Amino acid sequence: MKRIFAYMIAAALLTLTSCDAWLNVKPYDKMSEEELLSTEAGFIKLLNGIYIELNSDMLYGAALSVEMVEIMGGAYVIGTDNSVWGNYADLAAYKYQTDYWRARLNETWNKAYALILNCNLLLENLEKTTVKFSGDNYRVIKGEALALRAMLHFDMLRLFGPVYSQNPDAVAIPYYKKYSVTPNALLMASEVAAEVIRDLNEARILLANDPVRTSGTMTSAPADGSSTFMYYRNLRLNYYAVTALLARTGLYFGDREAAYDYSTEVIQASSDGIFPFVDKNLVIGSPDDPDRIFSSEVIFALSHSQRNKLFKGYYDPSRIPNYVFRMDNDLMNNIVYGGGATTGGHQDDYRYRVNWVATGANRYFYKYSDMVDAGSIQNTMIPMIRLGEMYLIAAESRSADIAAGVGFVNQLRSNRGVGNLSALTKELLQYEYIREMYGEGQLFFMYKRMYSPVIVSSTASKNPSPSNAVFVLPLPSSETDN
Amino acid sequence: MIIILAVSSWVASAQVSTAVLKGTVIDAADGYPLIGVSVMLNGTKQGTVTDIDGSYELKVPQDKCEVVFSYVGYDDVVKAYTTKNASSFSRIVMSANAEQLADVVVTGVYERKKESFTGASATFKTDQLKAVGSSNVLQSLKTLDPSFKMMESTQFGSNPNVMPDIEIRGKTSVAGMKEEYGTDPNQPLFILDGFETTLETIMNLNMNRVASVTILKDAASTAIYGSKASNGVVVIETKAPARGRLQLSYKGDFGLSLADLSDYNLMNSREKLEFETLAGVYRDNTNDPFAQIRLDNLRNERLKEIERGVDTYWLSEPVRPGFTHKHNIYAEGGEDKIRYGIGLSLGNVAGVMKDSDRQTLEGNVDLIYRTGKFQFSNKLSINWLDVTNPTVSFAEYAYANPYYRKYNADDGIDKYLYYPEEGIDDYPVANPLWNAHLNNWDTASGFGFTNNFIFEWFVTKELRFRAKFGLTKQDDDEQTRLSPQHTQFDDSGETEKGLYTHTQIKELSYEGDVAVTFGKLFAKKHMVNAVGGFNFSNNHRQVYGYSATGFTDDQFDAPSFANGYPVGDSPDYNESLKRAASFYINGGYAYAERYLLDFNYRLDGASMFGTGNRFRNTWSVGTGWNIHKEPFMKDNDFFSLLKVRGSIGNPGNQNFSAYQAFSTYKFNGWMTNVFGTGVILNALGNADLAWQETTNYDIGADLTFWGERINMTLDYYWKHTDPLLAVITTPGSMGVTSVAMNAGSQKTRGWETSIRVSPVYKPSEGIIWNISFNATSAKSEYANIGNSFAALNESGKSSLVGTTRYYDGGSPTAIWAVRSAGIDPATGKELFIKKDGTYSFTYDVNDEVVVGDTQPKVEGLVGTSLYFKGLSVGCYLRYRWGGQVFNSSLFQKVENIGTQEVYNNQDKRALYDRWSENNRDAYFKGISLVQRTEKSSRFVMDDNSLVGESFNVGYEFPDKIARKMRIGAMNVQLTMSDVFRATSVRVERGIDYPFARTVTMSLGITF
Repeated sequence: MKRIFAYMIAAALLTLTSCDAWLNVKPYDKMSEEELLSTEAGFIKLLNGIYIELNSDMLYGAALSVEMVEIMGGAYVIGTDNSVWGNYADLAAYKYQTDYWRARLNETWNKAYALILNCNLLLENLEKTTVKFSGDNYRVIKGEALALRAMLHFDMLRLFGPVYSQNPDAVAIPYYKKYSVTPNALLMASEVAAEVIRDLNEARILLANDPVRTSGTMTSAPADGSSTFMYYRNLRLNYYAVTALLARTGLYFGDREAAYDYSTEVIQASSDGIFPFVDKNLVIGSPDDPDRIFSSEVIFALSHSQRNKLFKGYYDPSRIPNYVFRMDNDLMNNIVYGGGATTGGHQDDYRYRVNWVATGANRYFYKYSDMVDAGSIQNTMIPMIRLGEMYLIAAESRSADIAAGVGFVNQLRSNRGVGNLSALTKELLQYEYIREMYGEGQLFFMYKRMYSPVIVSSTASKNPSPSNAVFVLPLPSSETDN
Repeated sequence: MIIILAVSSWVASAQVSTAVLKGTVIDAADGYPLIGVSVMLNGTKQGTVTDIDGSYELKVPQDKCEVVFSYVGYDDVVKAYTTKNASSFSRIVMSANAEQLADVVVTGVYERKKESFTGASATFKTDQLKAVGSSNVLQSLKTLDPSFKMMESTQFGSNPNVMPDIEIRGKTSVAGMKEEYGTDPNQPLFILDGFETTLETIMNLNMNRVASVTILKDAASTAIYGSKASNGVVVIETKAPARGRLQLSYKGDFGLSLADLSDYNLMNSREKLEFETLAGVYRDNTNDPFAQIRLDNLRNERLKEIERGVDTYWLSEPVRPGFTHKHNIYAEGGEDKIRYGIGLSLGNVAGVMKDSDRQTLEGNVDLIYRTGKFQFSNKLSINWLDVTNPTVSFAEYAYANPYYRKYNADDGIDKYLYYPEEGIDDYPVANPLWNAHLNNWDTASGFGFTNNFIFEWFVTKELRFRAKFGLTKQDDDEQTRLSPQHTQFDDSGETEKGLYTHTQIKELSYEGDVAVTFGKLFAKKHMVNAVGGFNFSNNHRQVYGYSATGFTDDQFDAPSFANGYPVGDSPDYNESLKRAASFYINGGYAYAERYLLDFNYRLDGASMFGTGNRFRNTWSVGTGWNIHKEPFMKDNDFFSLLKVRGSIGNPGNQNFSAYQAFSTYKFNGWMTNVFGTGVILNALGNADLAWQETTNYDIGADLTFWGERINMTLDYYWKHTDPLLAVITTPGSMGVTSVAMNAGSQKTRGWETSIRVSPVYKPSEGIIWNISFNATSAKSEYANIGNSFAALNESGKSSLVGTTRYYDGGSPTAIWAVRSAGIDPATGKELFIKKDGTYSFTYDVNDEVVVGDTQPKVEGLVGTSLYFKGLSVGCYLRYRWGGQVFNSSLFQKVENIGTQEVYNNQDKRALYDRWSENNRDAYFKGISLVQRTEKSSRFVMDDNSLVGESFNVGYEFPDKIARKMRIGAMNVQLTMSDVFRATSVRVERGIDYPFARTVTMSLGITF
């Protein structure tokens, strides 16, 4: 009898040890982390999934490119008729606390951090994986994931953080560097800045051997049908995109030297033929089918398979009687594309000639209108950072005196078919920003950075004055309540 | 009947001083030979066993000695051999162990004498269950045991197709988990014939098949189930076939259910119109004279209808008398070696709403084969299920206004009772009869089988080896259809009308168990029991579903007539695989039947828990003292049972989702790019999730005294669930908005008692009068939850009805609201009491305090039963005292009637008890459609009630009469459930489905 018990216990112990494997259940209708990230392809799919999700309407697919943030940046004429404009009038008046905008901001915030979580899960698994990666893929995947994490945090800081130049030590947002089931504390803006820079620097080192540095952006699939992973580098956070982000962050965080060094590095790469200025013939030489986003100059773009929605959904004049986003006529006529030498605005500006089309008394914005060739990669691109911005950053950061940067602005202008400015002022630089990056979600951040009035009109008194109420968005309630 | 052929003889010889005893061992109950009985010469190892005919031959020394006959489950027979009485060994009669049959606690893993068991448990036999009700086992259990609670659903009433929420000794988990995970984390574990099963199986089980039900409540009794046991265990044993010639029995239940609409207090047509007039429905606010004329006309039209006598009672439309009938035929028989039982059960439950049916058909085959020391038993059951649900909820009839006619002048049904003219900004009022008369349906059907196989090896009298394997397969199929003419599709495009949905659920589970059981009395004093075993289980569930739309016709409803799939809809597929493996031991020691000690240990592993926390230990210790067995009580014949017991243990809970422990990913789906497909996080897992565990303390006493006339059980318990497992809303910056995690703990303290007094107790004459009383009370509170549930609290504060809050020290059942001082007679405004005690007309949600608790202070049943010869009469009343309720009827159907709700019929009190210049002392605010009433203590009322839960009369026909009718036995019984209901608060119950009152006639015949 004792023997039987002994056998029983031995058998039980044996079974229990083999149990662990039996208890390790994998779902069939979902991909488990273990299975997905057991191959290099899994990591690549996850990374690509994050890029794809950036196209969400809550992020750069609308809210942070053409819609929400651009309204805050004063780019559009917003009417007051509720039946046409819905909640946009509230946003144009910076009423962030309405139920609708609280919910929208909450969505954007949650989505951005959800993708940050994806980055962190990717990075953590990358850290402990035993998978053998081909070529330089490990460093590239890691570099891009770090850069994505930095970029998303940076944009959340630019939205929800303080006006950095005024109040760098204000409590801003949390910075998530790893997956955690307990919330991270809110950090001061300057602490977030340090984290952003650290991640970007690390990413830049990891991407040092990025093929973009030698082979350029390679905007077509390999002829032999092999993996496209190392192609279309301008659709990924490549080495120069990270460098450009460092220029952008440097300027935002008041590190003029960094901004100058990084922006000029990208400008140098451009002169070396990696992100060349757009071929004049593609712009004005083909009036029926111009390359409206100046695709060769885009250092990093998202690829959105239905990018046409941006045009159809917000800018298409045939949307009337519904709302259509367009620039204030006076602003356009007197400043952005008018005013001549005083403002630098001319109607022969390529940026005017390809992107603005008159219908009736108004001009409408066509940057996101498709090119004729339906399959062209340009029709999917949402520019996230472009060469023009590098010139403007270099101009602003060359010296403490903004006037010293006039040469960079003029270089840019000469490639836009307009003459030189004789001198550079903050306002003239801002006008250049409007011309260069209209509809790309950067204007609000520019005004916030400079703590200057938001230019919505040519009449200065109509422009909202800088204030925290305008520039600092309230944190979502889920952050403050939990 | 049985002729003993065995002839005994003995041969004496001078040389060989041995004798041979020969004979047959038979069962006292039915005279059948017993196979495998051990026949031993006492004090030696010399012995034999009986063969297939029950015969034996034993060589004994030609000397005085003793022979011991022993057989599992039977009392030992010790017979002295005097060298001269050999012939008396020819026929040995053994009787089944009385204790084995009577006071035994069946845990599903092992059985223990009630007297020596230290756990808190209650066992009920089929007769007791049948005496109080005949709908299902659980319904009866609720009447018999106070700790077993079936939650009444205000929403679903007596819908036979909605599974109730069940609790034993209260909740151990946070609300909201059921919504999140689909499994009720407070549901007890159900064990049917030794195998884990589902609530639905138990609900479908024909009561006539049940032999006994045991409720295991405390740690000592449940810990053997380890991590599944913290909510208590319900162990159900079905009847095993009896030996003998083929015996056929029939049991039938015939019931009639009627809807109980007494809680509805709706206005009649005149009252409703007056209410609408006072509410300003017929007053134009824009001072547009034409609009005012239209409204005047509308009112006059309605008034005219009322004058013509229109006062429609809509509630009678969807209800019907529900006729329920259930039948069970069972044929059983066999001899000692092989026994069989074949049964067929049919159940046809008709709910009190039209189109509300539940049909079950169940066939079962039980086989027991016993040879020597081995026994094989197999129970197979196959079940069919067919379910129909009404497609228009009861609420829609309750909303319909009494001044509308049901039918138009041609006796047809109009789609709308009221449809606003062109250009009038008014809500159309749909006719509930319209949607009800269409060809809509909501049905489900199921087919499944369960096969449970048990092998037992009676190694010795003390040692038994058992292996079990159970397999259950269940396929369900749910289909719903909404006609294209349904009002829901009024605004849909031609190709989007009508909706068909189809869901298929496939489930396969198996469970295996091997165990060794040991039980022996050493030195006549030390009783040792031990069980050790290994158990594994696997549950695989798949759900497939799709929907189709674009029907053009009401009549032709096959899915093939659909135009396509709803835009943007994709097929559903869900799968879950849960596995568990456990090792368990149980030991019991009793010294001289006086001092008792039990312990349990179980090691559980489950796939639901993360790799960091995959295994968990459960333990329990129980002790007891049988005072009545003490020497100093020897002369006492007052107490026949006086036991005190106590236990402590930590059973766990794993009623949680299958994949909560690890992260899963999905394809982006909506977009691909030049790089191909992408994948992102689908659900974030928590690999460190700890098992929810409940430390359970229990002290109790069992008493039987005064010549068995008084029977008492008392228990005091203390439960501490730590950690709680809950879905916590998180800051969005964590990347997910909610995550399953361990947060805080919950403490529950409670007591329960059952007392049975028999003023008349003459069991020998068949006369017994019992009075029973049971009561239970419990109090719970949260601890250490901090701010984890802030988001739930916030959403509760802002929602119209939520009164549950999660704070440290707060009770899970507390009602939170701002205190109200009533309606100010002067102004008609509500006066609130702020947190600091000051009065204010301004409502501030932050002034919320606890204003009541839905958990009653004490709840239970009082009952009486009388047995007189064959006649029995019983009556059980449920009482509830000391609880409160937030009266949502008052809140939503008296006040808070907005511009849309005013088109629904309302509670009479909305008209009569409202504040006005002439009625300044009113309890309710003045009539207004725009004023929002906030949750305040004004709507919290004492909820004391007395319910006539079960009345019954039964008669067992005497043998004489039965024999005359040429049948074996016959009994009839009449049971009435929920006969009356007296409550201190009037609140609408049965919103979507009314409650029912039922009368059932039961008949049992054995041929």
